[in-house]
Amino acid sequence: MSGIIRTQGAQVGFNDLKLPGMWSRKIGKDLYEIFIGPQHPGSGHMRIVIRVDGDVIVEADPDMGYVHRTMEKLSEVRTWIKGIPLFERMAIHDACNVTLPYVRAVEKLMDIEAPERAKYLRVLLCEINRIAAFLYGFGIFGVFLGHSTMYMWPFGDREVWVELAEWLTGARLTHSYPVFGGVRRDVPAGFTDALRKAIRYMRKRLEDYRKIFVDNPVIRARLEGVGVIPKNLAIELGITGPNLRASGVKYDVRLNHPYEVYDQLDFEIPVFQEGDAYARVWQRVEEIKQSLNILEQVADWLDKHPRTPILHDKFWKTAPPLYKKIFEETGRAKLGAVYAIMKVPAGKAYERAETARGEISYYVESNGGNKPYRIRIHSASARNALVYKYIVPGHRVMDLPAIYGSIDYFPPEADR
Amino acid sequence: MSGILDAIIKIITWPPLWQLVVLGLLIPLGVVVFILWFERKTAARVQRRIGPYHVSPKIAGGLQLIADLMRYMFQEVIIPKTVDKFPFIVAPLAALILSIVPVVAIPFTSIEAYFPIDMSYSLIISLALLTLSPLFIILSGWASNNKFSVIGGMREAYLITAYELVAVLAFLSAGAITGSFNLVDIVEAQSGVKWFIILNPLAFAAAFIGVLLSTSGFPFEIAESEHEVVAGAFTEYSGLVYGMNMGAAYLKRMIFSIMIAVVFLGGWQPYTPGEGFIAGYLVPSIVILIKATVLMMIFSFFRAVYGRYRLDQALDIAWKILFPLAVLGFGLGLLEAYLGII
Repeated sequence: MSGIIRTQGAQVGFNDLKLPGMWSRKIGKDLYEIFIGPQHPGSGHMRIVIRVDGDVIVEADPDMGYVHRTMEKLSEVRTWIKGIPLFERMAIHDACNVTLPYVRAVEKLMDIEAPERAKYLRVLLCEINRIAAFLYGFGIFGVFLGHSTMYMWPFGDREVWVELAEWLTGARLTHSYPVFGGVRRDVPAGFTDALRKAIRYMRKRLEDYRKIFVDNPVIRARLEGVGVIPKNLAIELGITGPNLRASGVKYDVRLNHPYEVYDQLDFEIPVFQEGDAYARVWQRVEEIKQSLNILEQVADWLDKHPRTPILHDKFWKTAPPLYKKIFEETGRAKLGAVYAIMKVPAGKAYERAETARGEISYYVESNGGNKPYRIRIHSASARNALVYKYIVPGHRVMDLPAIYGSIDYFPPEADR
Repeated sequence: MSGILDAIIKIITWPPLWQLVVLGLLIPLGVVVFILWFERKTAARVQRRIGPYHVSPKIAGGLQLIADLMRYMFQEVIIPKTVDKFPFIVAPLAALILSIVPVVAIPFTSIEAYFPIDMSYSLIISLALLTLSPLFIILSGWASNNKFSVIGGMREAYLITAYELVAVLAFLSAGAITGSFNLVDIVEAQSGVKWFIILNPLAFAAAFIGVLLSTSGFPFEIAESEHEVVAGAFTEYSGLVYGMNMGAAYLKRMIFSIMIAVVFLGGWQPYTPGEGFIAGYLVPSIVILIKATVLMMIFSFFRAVYGRYRLDQALDIAWKILFPLAVLGFGLGLLEAYLGII
């Protein structure tokens, strides 16, 4: 690393060839350096610098941070409730999963717990989000492999779940649904029937996906044995989520550290041993099936239980009678004014949840004020991004989109 | 007055001009417009979309491609400073022209008066001309001086080595059956139902997949694969020149389809060319163009079904499956000639 030009302490560029006024870097004989991204149709908001020898990649350097938005710092100058819409921006189509641990950590500091009905509602939206996020990933993956039908189908079917979420929360993507002590709204009338219909539809469509994409000979040829993450490497790098489970490690926060009502629901988490891109596709297909099972159970529970308050008493008792009347009529609970001036007792809390891309964890520290003292987020994509450096070398250039797509990497979530 | 009109008609219907401009450029362009519309509409149908619609709702968006072409026409043609200007501009033009030229060696009728050139070795000549245009794609990639262009050009080079031998061998198997390089003889030999697609399906399969390989059809859309090499050799092109590049690939596929229609699908059979310009030249041409268009429609439907193979897998398929298939097809042709089936 000799010859690094430093300006005010920051690493700016290399000057290996000592060219005047120009950055230069030696990359080795017979190597070709290609910058995939950040303005490349196959990169997303990141850059992977690859060095190729002929058609074979010998080095890969994931370069993240293009959509860094200083979320952790921003959260320190906002009141507690404003953290929810802020953190949602990490993964807008996975909003409930991403913000849930923050809400739970703050609840832990306040020593309150959401009512059971609210917990079921949180699980409901979490699983809807999870399915939608997987379908989003499938769409991107399909187009990376040149399969335009697999691009259009999941994006079209994702609409079903996005609209269900909209019906439930009022917003297609950034729902801000879980709030401290509960959720914002109860299910509208007729929601569970529509949900069951969507579940039946999705099961049928998964079979269609299998026929045109997963069992397509061209796609199988592209994915089988490509981008293998061995079990020990996956553990060593701290890979998480479906990518970890596709490598044979049975770890899922919903199972290992159950939160909300996941311990009362009956589901199992599929595990594949191969660890290649093809296993990761099947992993996601199977996880969608499990999410559908969970949703069915939640729908049954919601049908059996009458409408009860969806906010913790601490907040519910401050609600004016008019709010309560509207809630009884429509199921919508307006956020009380108490949230705006809410103070959280001093302390530290750590919470985690399973998002569509893996485990996300929040460390929340409060000094008793109306703003967080420090919030540290460790998101799933940030952990998964490391894997490119280790598994891409040795593959051909055309394997890069296959591996990139199969990891289901989401830059805004990683960069925060 | 009628004398001038006659003279004009005579010039237009002069076989070399007619064949190159009308059968080689204008009608294939029209077919390409239709095929692109068809491709987008069928893909949309499979993908539960509507496809092109708003440009001309009454004919289901049929003019969308014309609108796109106009957009290309009025777009600024940017020539980057770093490119090698002369080959950068000339290469796409040469590729376009060389994709059309083979049509002069393809007979559209059996009447000698309407042959643009002597047809004795037309199979060889048309195949030789067909293999020229990819060289200029490699050249335009090289002249662009862009990493993605160079990689795209090199991929094209790899693919040429893969498909050229296969396609040539597959087409030559027709020569093996008939013992002649004259495409007219080859079509005449396919009278009735003795089309070579039935007599020699192996060679047809090899030629069909070879054409897919050579024209970047799915599942072999590798040289322009967007998610690795942006637009392959055409990354630095813009405006009309880019449109020309894209058009050249489709025109080439059209000419290849015409070749398949002539060599394997019986040419103008079951129609027999009669007397005069219309019965002797126009109608048989239309028969061939319809067959070629159907082939084009099949080619374009694959876009909705397949992803793309990896480069090394495509080469594997070409050398390990298609090449033996083409050799077998050639042997089958020889065997049929020996048994006297024709």
